[in-house]
Amino acid sequence: MKADVVVVGGGPAGLAAALKASEHADVVILERGSEPGGILPQCIHNGFGNFVFNKMMAGPEYAQHFIDRVNESGIDVKLETSVIEVRADKGKKVVAASPSGMLEMEAKSVVLAMGCRERSRAQILLPGTRPAGIYTAGTAQRLINIDGVMPGRRVVILGSGDVGLIMARRFTLEGAEVEGVYEIMPKPGGLTRNIVQCLDDYNIPLHLSHTVVDIKGRERVEGVTVAEVDGSMHPVKGTERFIPCDTLVLAVGLIPENELTRRAGIDIDGRTGGAYVDEHMETSVPGIFACGNVVHVHDLVDDVTVSSEIAGEYAGRHASGKNEKPGIKKGIKVVAGENVRYVVPQFLRHMDMEKLTFYLRVGEEKENVTVTVSCDGKVIFEKRERMVKPPEMVKVNVPASVIPEAEEGLRVDVAVNTEGKNG
Amino acid sequence: MRWERKVEKAIAKYGKGSIRYIIEDGVVYLDGSVPSVEDFVEMGRAIGKIKGVRGVVNNLSYPGMKARERRKGRTEKIGRADAVIIGAGVVGCFIARELSRYDLDIILVEKGEDVATGTTKANNAMVHTGIGEKMGTLKQKLCVEGHQMYGGVAKELNVPYRKCGMWIITTEHTLESYRIPSFIANFISKHIIPYIVLGRGKKLGIPMKIVKRDELLREEPNVTKKALAAVYSPTYGVTCPYGLAIALAENAMQNGVKIMLNTEVVDIAVEDGGVKSVVTTEGTIDADFVVNAAGLFADEVADMAGAREYTIHPKKGSTLLFDREYGDHIKHSMSMLKFPRMEHYKGGGVMLTVDGNIQWGPTMEPFSGREDTSVKSEEIAEILEHFSLLLPDFPKDKVIAYFAGIRAATFTEDFFIRPSRKVRGFIHVAGIQSPGLAASPAIAKMVLGILKDEGLEMEEKKDFNPSRKKPVVFRELSREEKEKLIEENPAYGKIVCRCEQVTEGEVVDAIHSPIPALSVDAIKRRTRAGMGRCQGSFCLPRVASILARETGIGMEDVVKNSENSKLFVGKAKCLLVENAGGKNEG
Repeated sequence: MKADVVVVGGGPAGLAAALKASEHADVVILERGSEPGGILPQCIHNGFGNFVFNKMMAGPEYAQHFIDRVNESGIDVKLETSVIEVRADKGKKVVAASPSGMLEMEAKSVVLAMGCRERSRAQILLPGTRPAGIYTAGTAQRLINIDGVMPGRRVVILGSGDVGLIMARRFTLEGAEVEGVYEIMPKPGGLTRNIVQCLDDYNIPLHLSHTVVDIKGRERVEGVTVAEVDGSMHPVKGTERFIPCDTLVLAVGLIPENELTRRAGIDIDGRTGGAYVDEHMETSVPGIFACGNVVHVHDLVDDVTVSSEIAGEYAGRHASGKNEKPGIKKGIKVVAGENVRYVVPQFLRHMDMEKLTFYLRVGEEKENVTVTVSCDGKVIFEKRERMVKPPEMVKVNVPASVIPEAEEGLRVDVAVNTEGKNG
Repeated sequence: MRWERKVEKAIAKYGKGSIRYIIEDGVVYLDGSVPSVEDFVEMGRAIGKIKGVRGVVNNLSYPGMKARERRKGRTEKIGRADAVIIGAGVVGCFIARELSRYDLDIILVEKGEDVATGTTKANNAMVHTGIGEKMGTLKQKLCVEGHQMYGGVAKELNVPYRKCGMWIITTEHTLESYRIPSFIANFISKHIIPYIVLGRGKKLGIPMKIVKRDELLREEPNVTKKALAAVYSPTYGVTCPYGLAIALAENAMQNGVKIMLNTEVVDIAVEDGGVKSVVTTEGTIDADFVVNAAGLFADEVADMAGAREYTIHPKKGSTLLFDREYGDHIKHSMSMLKFPRMEHYKGGGVMLTVDGNIQWGPTMEPFSGREDTSVKSEEIAEILEHFSLLLPDFPKDKVIAYFAGIRAATFTEDFFIRPSRKVRGFIHVAGIQSPGLAASPAIAKMVLGILKDEGLEMEEKKDFNPSRKKPVVFRELSREEKEKLIEENPAYGKIVCRCEQVTEGEVVDAIHSPIPALSVDAIKRRTRAGMGRCQGSFCLPRVASILARETGIGMEDVVKNSENSKLFVGKAKCLLVENAGGKNEG
């Protein structure tokens, strides 16, 4: 089977990319679930669409908006279709399994939109037994909101990422008792608005600089031991406290899901866990694009939508031969400077867009800072921020005109400086 | 000095607590009390080490000692068997399968909800050659024999088995604990130790060769540059321990063995000095012979028959498992020789698995309980530190799981396989620790011989079928085979476990297999759903809902493994109803 653009994944990233791409070419979406929308159908809380639609929407509502438009546009959505291989050598091929058979698609462009997965217990080396009653937050969310089963009565939540905070509220609303949320870092991992709306409003305590040091129970969780941690995140002896509970929910981070990407031979950025992309969201393999949480984990679906539209736009153009000039090979390197953990895109190759958006995450919480973009040492753009913190992604819109024509060897530095220092 | 004298001396030397002992038929029975569990273990070991001691029954008590609660049995007769095998670990299953070749009524009873739920499931899967065992022990003899039988058995039963090969490596760390100049230590590690290993192999008929440092590093570029030499053992194998046990049990069943799960033995009736019946939680089975393959509880079972000749000394082993994506970091399994043998790493190494993951471990914790399979932070840290000496560049952050198993050792540290000298018809198959998996084919053969000698008449069945059909494994098939399969049954096109590419069809097959997989873990062991990098966070809801659908129960009643391991407390909203004082219908 042949297609102009094959989109791997029908979540918010895949839907937005497909819609844009369909303005230029024929598009097929391959989605492993039995309905499109990715994780959104289980996110029944609101807080979506704030700046794309200028209103507060629930997850399913936000997804439906795109699903309706995809259905109207004639995009072929293949459900229950799991991609098992993406090949980048000698033409692009996508292999998938589905109840109607094996599918092998030859594509002019491929958009990778597989999203992310939750970090598991082993990734944080959490010791103890292995009983029933340990769930990642997203799984617990799905169990309650989609499958209609209640995972537990008395819950301890480890990790204060957004999914964990949302689930603290969800469990409470479902009649369970949330003993507390424990966070190993000295600062919360989720958005401030979620701390207020999900914990404070329900009197759920948040214990910073705390972690779980043991899980007890042979068949079902009987309790967990929590302890305070020191500056190097080691448990402090003598601070252990046993909490009887039947459920431990883990909200300890998300990982872009890039096994297909890695096996296709596409270069991965160790800091984001996703593919290196240029300003078109094109990866190191020409014609293969990536967008959404598979590139880096976003806080807000709105950002996913916006950046995925770019991927879709250029994947569509690539497939229809509208990209007149190919990008320069390596391009301008975008470097994460002072107090910046990572920047996306990681390089610029085309210089044909009016505006560039850099997405970055800071290393440390800082007040009154200036985000500077400099090219070969010269500051070309700056923006003030009242407050930056690691859980909240920083966006910098830069008029492309300030960046010199793409040239190999040039580099752009994006840094976050405390005011008074470096201007 | 006669060994009895040595026992007396060892106890006198120990001097703690109040210890009495008697010796009967080569078995030392210890009685009294000691101050701690460490003393309990030390005393048992000290006696077990003495040459001539056949068994140690350690009845010493210590503060905090817990006796296991024994469940109530049921007296009504539920059957008769020529032989009852107690315990469906890999050893019990193997014996059952070998006995199913004969015209006999065999019943295999297991207290767990599935076969292979105890020590077997947490085994590190190595099919050892026997090179690592103490010369002259029964376990070494059976390991060498068993290893040679593996290929044939694995083929008949369609169980994954491959000779992955093993490097036994000496490094600059090998002798670093000794106070000798490093140039001498390195000389010994490079030019003497490998030849000693090779010499032992020769004696046992195990093919091995010495490989120089340069060649080792060429073959395995990720091995530490501090490596000095290696001995390569090409026939070292690896299998899937629970996969093997399941296949053996299925094949035994197919050949007429009755398997009773969720059935705990609580008593054994003896009449006129011989076995009469086995009392279980499900009823009483008359039997002429009882094979005690109860693993960690073998001493308790022997005690029920009044045939106790050993005490099980549980020793925990923890293993770390890494993401399959990094399975090509090494070509062959490897272990690093380090002297003196470290207490915590007996037999451990960096091991390949049949599924492509690499695992590190196991550790050895001599003071563990029989059922405590928790893994401690210190153990995880120790494993990571220790094996990093061998593979310094390994992506250590790609751990996907860790687990612990308990070795069912005895204090004499050898297999204890023989007919009881106290009760006729009671056969001990105890003390099976490493290399029990490798030795299991030979153990089964030996037990058959014992049963024959003890008077069990064995007539070969004409219709014995040695082979067991391989279940569908979607991810291993070619494109064409997949296509054909999906055409026959679309459920094989629906992937429910993203990490291991397990399809709904395979999950349904497992649920309806000869030994039905009725828990999420039982399905996991048969299909690998939930064994990948996300550890079930994706597939758990899917597998649970398929299990509910196929067995006609509500999803809220699905269990992880045993009866009390319910995954959910009810339907959504059940707690709201409960909190409002209403009745919970979930």
